[in-house]
Amino acid sequence: MNCLLCHQPLRDDPGLSGLLDARPLRLAQLCRRCFARFDQIDQQTVCPGCGRADSPSLCQDCRRWKAQGEQLLNHRAWFRYTAPMKDFIQQYKGLGDYHLHGAFADVLQVVGENQALVPIPSERGHYARRGFDPVLGLFGHLPLALWLTKADTPVPQAQKTRAERLLTRQSFTAHLPAKVPPRIVLLDDLYTTGRTLYHAKAALRAAGFEGEVISRSLIR
Amino acid sequence: MIPSGMQLIDEEVADAGIAASSLAQAEVVFGIVDGVCQRCGQRTRHQLPDGRTYCRACIGLGRVTSTTRLFRFPSGPGEGGKLTWAGSLTPAQNAAAQAAVASVSAGRDHLLWAVTGAGKTEMLFPLIAHELAEHHRVAVATPRIDVVLELAPRLQAAFAETPVAVQYGGAPWPVAPAPLVVGTTHQLLRYYQHFDLVIVDEVDAFPYSQTPMLAAAVAKANRGPTVFLSATPPRALKQAARAGTIGVSFLVRRFHGFPLPVPHLLVAALKGVPKRAPKTVLHLLSQLTGRQCMLFVPRIDWLLPLAQALSQAGYTVQTVHAEDPERVLKVQQFRDGVVAVLLTTTILERGVTIPHCAVLVLAADDRQFSTSGLIQMAGRAGRSQASPDDPVWFVGGHITLNMLAARHEITMMNRRTP
Repeated sequence: MNCLLCHQPLRDDPGLSGLLDARPLRLAQLCRRCFARFDQIDQQTVCPGCGRADSPSLCQDCRRWKAQGEQLLNHRAWFRYTAPMKDFIQQYKGLGDYHLHGAFADVLQVVGENQALVPIPSERGHYARRGFDPVLGLFGHLPLALWLTKADTPVPQAQKTRAERLLTRQSFTAHLPAKVPPRIVLLDDLYTTGRTLYHAKAALRAAGFEGEVISRSLIR
Repeated sequence: MIPSGMQLIDEEVADAGIAASSLAQAEVVFGIVDGVCQRCGQRTRHQLPDGRTYCRACIGLGRVTSTTRLFRFPSGPGEGGKLTWAGSLTPAQNAAAQAAVASVSAGRDHLLWAVTGAGKTEMLFPLIAHELAEHHRVAVATPRIDVVLELAPRLQAAFAETPVAVQYGGAPWPVAPAPLVVGTTHQLLRYYQHFDLVIVDEVDAFPYSQTPMLAAAVAKANRGPTVFLSATPPRALKQAARAGTIGVSFLVRRFHGFPLPVPHLLVAALKGVPKRAPKTVLHLLSQLTGRQCMLFVPRIDWLLPLAQALSQAGYTVQTVHAEDPERVLKVQQFRDGVVAVLLTTTILERGVTIPHCAVLVLAADDRQFSTSGLIQMAGRAGRSQASPDDPVWFVGGHITLNMLAARHEITMMNRRTP
């Protein structure tokens, strides 16, 4: 196995205990040096509402969502949006290098019972162009529930200003199965303003889901 | 405008705003046929969830998938051009250049084997001038952007009345068709059967040597012979030259006429490196007598501990590596003489000229150091007329074949009559 980013051979062997352990074996896809370039968020000091780093009390954004009557998503993210992560996203989503989809699979774990993991889908037009769904790729190692669909929008979120993002209209619809668990974890690649995820939550509510909705993303 | 001789994918054609009437003149092929990328010629097996295959090798220029259309625009003869350079070549440079002209005229590939610091760029002028006069199209391809940026103005100055197109990742494009193109080797992927001569600089350097795609890019972009330039040609080229399948000319003396410094091979206990500097190294550094020293190490994580050890021993030290954002600045500081020792990875093995500079390769027995790499590093020493005999030391835990081969090749070059 070689590192997905620098193509150097990976030196971390699973070891005997790793092989004999009952837990599923999860090997890193990136070498330590490449992985160390990404800035992991210290979960002890994040905003309880959105997972923003170094904000131990509720941040401005989250207070605004609260003021609008939203129940906060208790969002958590694994990484900060630093330059190496921007490069990674550019290569993966921008250029469409699907091979990188498992780069963080060993880190992106969501544990818990009685919950469904619902990824934020990409638009049909984007899927047709890329040939893959970036969020499904990143979280493909988890058991996912594909309950959301997204209608095509004229301008992608990534090309909008903050103000424009917040004004985006609802474009999700949810189709829930007969039996749903008490909790849904929404999964996305990037949390910027939270607009997308709160829309997704609203779509779940509109479809009649009454349980708890929280969210996770690769990057905050 | 028709981007003559280029091969562009759907997105590039759309970005460049090429008119439908121009598109109609292009030959259209699908991006991947039988598992081979039609742009870069590499085999690919990478699949997208929607069933298409895509090429990872050339993805940096925009993704090619099995449904991508690749537009190949027709090429034609060059616009011509002439040399306006007023300088002159040494007799040795001239002989090597004329041999290359003879090979190219005969339609044969050619290896220009010139030692480090020989003045290769000027030697290309007669060859390029000869080709432009015949209305041929010429590309000069080099592995790195820094070299493109250094080379382009020199070529433009030498061919002042000729349009020169400069191409590298991030450069504005599309460029107007020009008879002379200077660019990174990757950019040749955007051409198809367009050039009558491609000159490949530093054939043995990363990434050309490790990336088969780039050799394929040269072959695809070219419809004539190829001239390879190197101080340390790869084995395949040396064998072809010896067998006579390609032409070869040597330039064995530096422009100042002195022989290359021959490396001294030293064995030292490397225990405790990089946290401690070996005694041998400290002893060698004490013999610098007013020279600066480039100290090469095999690994990035050696830089900081070793720098600490050396500054404790009283040396002013600076470190550089490939991802160092201050690389250019630090090298400039070293050039200015602010620091005595420059600790570096192999990133500086080429293209750097410091007068009065000794070279020390620590752990020269490391697998990281190839024969050509060692020759290049040794080639950093003795580059100025004032100090042609700067010392070169290879210090290893033991002596490897690569170290011996590097010393042998340097000695043989010195022995060859100019």
